[in-house]
Amino acid sequence: MTMDATLSGHLQELRRGTVVVASLIVLRTPGYGYSLLETLGRAGFEVEANTLYPLLRRLEAQGLLTSEWNTDEARPRKFYRTTAQGDAIAGTLREEWSRLDSAIGDLSTTTGSEE
Amino acid sequence: MTNLIDRYVYTALRRVPEQQRGDIDRELRASIEDAVDARVEAGEERTAAVESTLIELGDPDRLADQYAGRSNFLIGPELFPIWRKLLTTLLATVLPIVVIVGVVVQLVDDPDVGKVIGGAVTAILTVGTQMAFWVTAVFAILERTGSARTELKHHWTLKDLPRYEPSNIPRSEVAAGVVWPVLLIAGLVLQQFSFSAVPVLNPGNWTFWWPYLIVALVLGAVFQVWLYRRGRFDRTVSVVNAVQQLITAVPLIWLVATGRFVNPEFGWFAGLDSGADIKEWVTKALIGVLIAGTAVDIVKVTVRGERARKGLPAKVPGTGGYGV
Repeated sequence: MTMDATLSGHLQELRRGTVVVASLIVLRTPGYGYSLLETLGRAGFEVEANTLYPLLRRLEAQGLLTSEWNTDEARPRKFYRTTAQGDAIAGTLREEWSRLDSAIGDLSTTTGSEE
Repeated sequence: MTNLIDRYVYTALRRVPEQQRGDIDRELRASIEDAVDARVEAGEERTAAVESTLIELGDPDRLADQYAGRSNFLIGPELFPIWRKLLTTLLATVLPIVVIVGVVVQLVDDPDVGKVIGGAVTAILTVGTQMAFWVTAVFAILERTGSARTELKHHWTLKDLPRYEPSNIPRSEVAAGVVWPVLLIAGLVLQQFSFSAVPVLNPGNWTFWWPYLIVALVLGAVFQVWLYRRGRFDRTVSVVNAVQQLITAVPLIWLVATGRFVNPEFGWFAGLDSGADIKEWVTKALIGVLIAGTAVDIVKVTVRGERARKGLPAKVPGTGGYGV
């Protein structure tokens, strides 16, 4: 395996799960599939459409998102919104994220790999 | 004629559960149209925009798998170790038994070398394939239905650790390897004078073959002592063992096959003459046992030699609940 392939494999491992947190946070204001894809892309989350759309339905099935069809415009769109439960879970996940971040920061200082 | 988007959506929907189909249909179309519009706004031509949007969405079958939450593997990491253990156990124990039984039956039926080898190869291929297929099929179904997963899941404990032999050559095996030839020699000599009124084995062989056999058996016992003092299995041991086994087994098989083994005067066997079929059956069964026994021994010692050569410690048989 080349170094690039190794790196991208580890990056993928590390990023897995961040899309869920990001989606739950963004969808506190209702949004539809493509709008979320755009928002996440602009925010620097590398996510593919074919991963995101099925993920939204899974999160809905888990009760973390709720959805509603909006037919006011010419093109009907399915709008997703984070539920209270989804918000709570997103909060816990964010706390865990910051805990891991500071834990890794602590590791770097104690081992002296950072000044 | 249907357009590209229709073809894409239809293909994806084919493999999505029916009750979700309508909803996914509308949502997927809206998402595709949104993406196409965004590309057109950015200055792309519509046909090209549709094409690149669909290419970006990728294989519709994979998309359908994601929507349906289907796993894209046959047997997942939870069941895989149990699948592997069961399959290797079956292939390492049941398959050889089936093949050996088949070979013996063929020997009894018609001891043609070609037919015996052909039958063995056919049995290995067909029975082995059937085993692999059915075990895999059952596990794939368990994986999909999710039933019995918790029951099958192996909870590893310290008891599952195998024990390893302190020395490569267990003393008990050496003792048995010395005692067994001695017993055989004693039996061979004694049957000439006692046990029955007429000797069981052909007394005509005392001119050459029985003394030869005694020497071969003594060499077998010497081999065990030599092995014990050498203290390890390796290629030399494998070769010496194979030679030692063959110089005993080949003449024995030849004697049995040509009818020179049993005393023709011996009552029970001579009485079988009327029913020549039974006599032939006994002869062939004896040959089968001799061949199988010799082959098993040679393979066993060679496997040990190869393991020792690779530095793998010898596992005490019957210990360790996990792994074969």
